[in-house]
Amino acid sequence: MPARVSLKSLKRRGGLFEGIKSNIQALAVGVKYFIDPQRSTLLYPKEYIEHRPGYRGFIVFIKDKCISCAACARICPSAAMKMVRVTEVDPKHPDKPRQKQYPVINYQRCIFCGYCVDICPTEALYHTPFQDVVYESLADMFLTLEAFQLEPGRPSVSEGSPVVYEVDEERGLIKRRR
Amino acid sequence: MEGQKLQGMVVRRVEKELYEVFIGPQHPGSGHMRIIVRLDGDVIVEADPDIGYVHRTMEKLSEVREWLKPIPLLERMTIIDACNITVPYVNALEKLMDKSPPPRASYLRVLLCEINRVASHLYGFGIFGVFLGHSTMYMWAFGDREVFVELAEILTGARLTHSYPIPGGVRRDMPQDFPEMARRAVRYMRGRLEEYRRIFVDNPVIVKRLEGVGVISRNKAAELGIVGPNVRASGIRYDVRLAEPYEVYDELDFEIPVFEEGDALARTWVRVEEIKQSLSIIEQAVDWLERHKGEPIIPKEDYDKLPKLHREVYEKTGRVKLLPAHATMKIPAGKAIARGEMGRGEIIYYVESDGGTTPYRVRVVTPSARNAIVFKYIVPGHRLMDLPAIYGSIDYFPPEADR
Repeated sequence: MPARVSLKSLKRRGGLFEGIKSNIQALAVGVKYFIDPQRSTLLYPKEYIEHRPGYRGFIVFIKDKCISCAACARICPSAAMKMVRVTEVDPKHPDKPRQKQYPVINYQRCIFCGYCVDICPTEALYHTPFQDVVYESLADMFLTLEAFQLEPGRPSVSEGSPVVYEVDEERGLIKRRR
Repeated sequence: MEGQKLQGMVVRRVEKELYEVFIGPQHPGSGHMRIIVRLDGDVIVEADPDIGYVHRTMEKLSEVREWLKPIPLLERMTIIDACNITVPYVNALEKLMDKSPPPRASYLRVLLCEINRVASHLYGFGIFGVFLGHSTMYMWAFGDREVFVELAEILTGARLTHSYPIPGGVRRDMPQDFPEMARRAVRYMRGRLEEYRRIFVDNPVIVKRLEGVGVISRNKAAELGIVGPNVRASGIRYDVRLAEPYEVYDELDFEIPVFEEGDALARTWVRVEEIKQSLSIIEQAVDWLERHKGEPIIPKEDYDKLPKLHREVYEKTGRVKLLPAHATMKIPAGKAIARGEMGRGEIIYYVESDGGTTPYRVRVVTPSARNAIVFKYIVPGHRLMDLPAIYGSIDYFPPEADR
């Protein structure tokens, strides 16, 4: 069924009575929310949001699964992911060191589009469901291969309690403690 | 007065009895743009929109990125309307690739588009409210927009930069509990619109500032080539969803509200009515998606190419994994035009491919770029006080216009 046009017109405003009525209506709504305000402010850092599992947050790398295909570095729209060459011990031939490429990430550039996680053929990258991570300097945002394999520390977990936001029919977005 | 500096403005005498006021380009009050207004007393004689402060060469940047990469880039033109602005680009790619998304993917796109449309209109109301000094509306609209931003986050994983559509489908399926949540949000917003009417749209203070202000006649609207809710408030029945239905808009039952008055109040009412229609579309899309559970969200030929692990992830989490071939995808040579209806009006993409891994040309015409001309031809003749009312009512968004 295609869209239909519905021609509408503004209602004609009339007289003093209508004006007084509309004013009172506006004030009544204001008074209603003055008495019973609708608040959903997050008291960060006393509380922090616990996002759902699908949330696209910081990315963590699992080195054992990586096959060095570099698809993540090629798909990255902001060139945040780069491959580094490392020399490491080959588990099959312990006496012969081998050269391998692994991705590292620059969080100064990352836009959290999640293309790298989606393109990885072995699921070696995954999203953590949070984004409130602090780095002390810009240089720290350029993760090394070791740092990229660890879930970033999240100070809000130690300082606050988790909350989730839910959609409520009466009050819109409501905050619920876990 | 000569050379005197006022806060946020520079006032300089240009002619006897004529003053030139620069509004902007600082963000509060004008967005990232400047309006040069010449005043006789406080009546505007001439208004000159000075745009281009947030030009980021989106078209040129698209030419040096592989086909999938412009999607997160183009979103940044209108970050509050991200799905609506990327769907026509993806449609253009699909035309070039001769691929069409399965119905479930189309419904998911439409669902996110309408969530974005509601959020975009609410954002517009918030800015409009604060322009008129109605800070209650500002807080309410932004608070209620958060409900729809939350819905979009649950659906896609990101609050605003969803990067949701990909050529041939979408990136994720809907979570199990999403339909119920969307229905609750729709019912909440319906009740809330009634309160908006009482405190804002029917409030005599607001009505007095909007009624008969910035009237764009039917002929003038056609002549200036403005789009979106602004043109529909002037009595022109034009909406891309009506003129050239894309995705599944021809299967849905909804109305295109048209008003004939053409003033700022009519433009406000068009947006209120559009929110109502979008809420109804969200309900219909969610109902359809619930009835057709388990249908594919990517074309069959794409699914057949997926390796075992990719299929497992897709079946288990509903997440579509990309193939490494997507990074260096080539698109057959050709030209395609696609258009769509954003919250603020019609968006047109012209995409040309020379058969390579990057677009040869991406031309974008955004609705705000076409609406900016209103400042030049409609504002003169009004008092300076009416300028924020007109600005807010046309819902102009500089980053989108400058692109």
